[in-house]
Amino acid sequence: MRSNTILPSERQLPRLFLILLVAVLALAGWQWRHGAPLSANLMELVPGSTPNALEQQAEQRMQEPLNREMLVLVGHTDRQQAVAVARQLGERWQASSLFEKVQWNLQADLPALREQLLRGRLAMLSAKDRAQLIEHPDAFIQQRVQALFDPFTGFSLVPSQEDWLGLTGRIQNSQPQRGAVQLDIGSGALIADADGKSWVLLRARTTGNAFDMHLPLRVADLLQASRAEADAQGAQLLAASGLLYAANGQQQATREITWVGGGATVGILLLLLLAFRRWRVLLAFVPVLVGMLFGAVACVALFGHMHVMTLVLGSSLIGVAVDYPLHYLSKSWSLQPWRSWPALRLTLPGLSLSLATSCIGYLALAWTPFPALTQIAVFSAAGLVGAYLSAVCLLPALLNGVELRPAHWPLRIAERLWQLRAALLKRVPSAVLLALVLLFCAGGLWQLNTKNDIRQWIGAPPQLLQEAQAVARITGFQPTSQFFLVRAPDQPQLLERLDTLGQRLDQLVNTGKLQGYLALNQLVSRPAEQQQVRDALNRLPQHWQPLLDLGVPASALQAEIAQLQALPTEDIDAALAGPLAEPWRTLWLGPVDGGVAAMVSLQGLNNPALLHAQAADLPGVQLVDRLGDLNRVFAATQISAAELKLLSCGLIVLLLIMPFGVGGALRIVALPLLAALCSLASLGWLGQPLTLFSLFGLLLVTAISVDYAILMREQIGGAAVSLLGTLLAALTTWLSFGLLAVSSTPAVSNFGLSVSLGLAFSFMLAPWAGQQKHAL
Amino acid sequence: MKLITFLGALLLSLQAQAFDLQQLSDQLAKPSVIHGSFTQEKHLRALPQPLVSKGTFVLAKDHGLLWLLKTPLQQDYRISAQGIARRDANGWQLLPNKSAGAEQNRLFLAVLQGDSSGLQRDFELQLQGEATQWKLTLIPRSLLLKQVFTRINIEGGALVQTIELLETQGDSTVLRMQDSTADQPLSDAEQHDFAQ
Repeated sequence: MRSNTILPSERQLPRLFLILLVAVLALAGWQWRHGAPLSANLMELVPGSTPNALEQQAEQRMQEPLNREMLVLVGHTDRQQAVAVARQLGERWQASSLFEKVQWNLQADLPALREQLLRGRLAMLSAKDRAQLIEHPDAFIQQRVQALFDPFTGFSLVPSQEDWLGLTGRIQNSQPQRGAVQLDIGSGALIADADGKSWVLLRARTTGNAFDMHLPLRVADLLQASRAEADAQGAQLLAASGLLYAANGQQQATREITWVGGGATVGILLLLLLAFRRWRVLLAFVPVLVGMLFGAVACVALFGHMHVMTLVLGSSLIGVAVDYPLHYLSKSWSLQPWRSWPALRLTLPGLSLSLATSCIGYLALAWTPFPALTQIAVFSAAGLVGAYLSAVCLLPALLNGVELRPAHWPLRIAERLWQLRAALLKRVPSAVLLALVLLFCAGGLWQLNTKNDIRQWIGAPPQLLQEAQAVARITGFQPTSQFFLVRAPDQPQLLERLDTLGQRLDQLVNTGKLQGYLALNQLVSRPAEQQQVRDALNRLPQHWQPLLDLGVPASALQAEIAQLQALPTEDIDAALAGPLAEPWRTLWLGPVDGGVAAMVSLQGLNNPALLHAQAADLPGVQLVDRLGDLNRVFAATQISAAELKLLSCGLIVLLLIMPFGVGGALRIVALPLLAALCSLASLGWLGQPLTLFSLFGLLLVTAISVDYAILMREQIGGAAVSLLGTLLAALTTWLSFGLLAVSSTPAVSNFGLSVSLGLAFSFMLAPWAGQQKHAL
Repeated sequence: MKLITFLGALLLSLQAQAFDLQQLSDQLAKPSVIHGSFTQEKHLRALPQPLVSKGTFVLAKDHGLLWLLKTPLQQDYRISAQGIARRDANGWQLLPNKSAGAEQNRLFLAVLQGDSSGLQRDFELQLQGEATQWKLTLIPRSLLLKQVFTRINIEGGALVQTIELLETQGDSTVLRMQDSTADQPLSDAEQHDFAQ
């Protein structure tokens, strides 16, 4: 029989494919020459809507400490013990070579501080003190006299004879409070008291950032070891850092790839062995491996690297890729004797259609503004092409000569299911069933609610979050992700704009809606204001009699005024040079596009909506609210995802009109859509929210399950055999996607859940695809 | 060389004589309320004569210190566990807890109340003399503190009599406490002041 022989073209195919495979392997080898091109940077996964380079630069600047710094609190009921443990920890960490700098005590450089204070007497004077000097010079002098007698003012850095007017003391006292942390003058440690314990603050700055693949894990290990050590000494450690989230995310991803990938692999191999009872049938896994290889190579080629999240979600491809060989393997129940090449020939049109529909479904994901999904789409589409090619070109050659004698029990199960369906249909007609299904859908959709939040991307364990909250509460450091970006043509105008913004923010601070903020105008005043101080100082001799009465020599005061007049006007760069400017340094972006720019960072924000109002009518002031923007993008994307879904369905219909006609094509596409609707309703009934990810999952399932409808409609080898083929395909796919549902990242588990539901409904609805009248 | 041997011998003999820090602490911690007046001299390096101010104080073991400046200007201060407060037209105002200043005030209370354990943490303590007339010298241990004080000298008998703070910059402050008495309890007004 002609159909049982091997065509000449079929002899060529394996060779050609092997050449391609070797080429791709070589490319992969080249891509991995510097180690694994993997990335764990979460921000790469979310839409990069940043329109200009400056905003991006500002954002990086604000995030840098989050990704490189770790705040640790060492707590002990005894202050001295806390300091001792912190000292020990600091020394150990410094020696670990993981950190660039570990700081547990303040080594204040007093001479440098003094120098900066003296030099900045005009420029660094706070607005309040400046106003008093200009408007109430008598009161200004009176306060100075009082301060000279005050035994409790604390030590001033600059001795009186160098600063008779006490300007440096005022500058020192107007520095913004930095949280609840206080300097322990004995040890130099920074200590906060809370919960009956003294907490010593330790800051560590790592050599690399959180997106390094190895560093976060090593830092987390070190922290864990230190925690145990501190425990032994009765001390408690609290830590907060973006690094810990990264470490946790990596561990989690590794665990999940192992579970999802491993679980799916073992399950599918077992299924293959049980159903087909031949060791060589395990070769059906070759397309899966080839698919993974193609996916990874395409991803790295297009994006330069692959994200770990792509790997986690991509590992679900295993279940889809194995469907191609299953297509013709399952023909062994009806086609006896089964031979690989003829079986392939028989199923090739269906296989090709299946590849096309799945690719359409995956590539629809690529048009969403989510780089994460674009990566997954590319990975999956390339993977499917690889799997298809190996299933079509290579696998039949590998299975050549194998005679499949599959177990009978799967077919009996399928037959039993088919009979059950027939019995059901006898009592309840399809139309009534449809009405019931629609009722079920309506009820579920009624209860469905949506939820979109960037936090779904992060499966952070509660312990990490609690610790970070405790650190924020104890230290009072509560950095917010929002910040203001302020631009102006030159420095004086920039400071003026910062002043205007500052006045509004002060109101928020006074009403308790904002804990505090940091802006350059707190550090240095405008040149015009510095000139006002000079003028006011010139008038001061009329008011300084009380100082002369104390015995301060008039010549000393005269000399000081002369010295102050001679101080040069300070600009932002000069003000940032001294040690006092350390907290402000990151805020200065310097000259950009013909102007200058700076940031205003915020602390302890209750209501982000209030911030938008602050910047609304201020020229050059812009609120950068990445989280808020992202959440808005999420919500907007949900709508575009639904449109994409419809569009992809339209494309699939067009594709299917050729083989199945308009009616058939519509019917084949309607079933997955109905399945998607049922899944949505189930989410509602289960009380699960509809997220962007569940929607993406459904988008995908539509594409995959079109395949089932095609299989059922073609009915090659009879209804029961087709149902069995569908069941096997659905089972393998479910084995890989369903396992995603156990992921601890809400986004991933949501995706897995909706795909699982979609698959179940698609399988149940597939028999309604009708029967194709075969011309042959 | 001779001096060192002499000092060594002195220290040894002091130990033998057995008026030690613990006894001083106990002695100073005994009275629950001390009333007295003070003279404060601030010696600024560049001024020919010191800035002298006078007033009265109340040291209550369980509450803290009231420091009432009378001349040449009037100003009331209170140091307690909550921090340092200054009285203005609206009553007591807690001053912002400037870290270094707050720490200095903690020291001040520790000195007056003879809390040697609190002092020993940050200073090396040297005690000379006997219960009726002693001198305690505090030398800062930490680098940070050394940049502020060179030394603090405290002298007294039953109660603290003078405190001399020698700053690294060359300025110094001398507090003389006179007519201290441990006999009077807190007056209603004083209790009220501590309570707020």
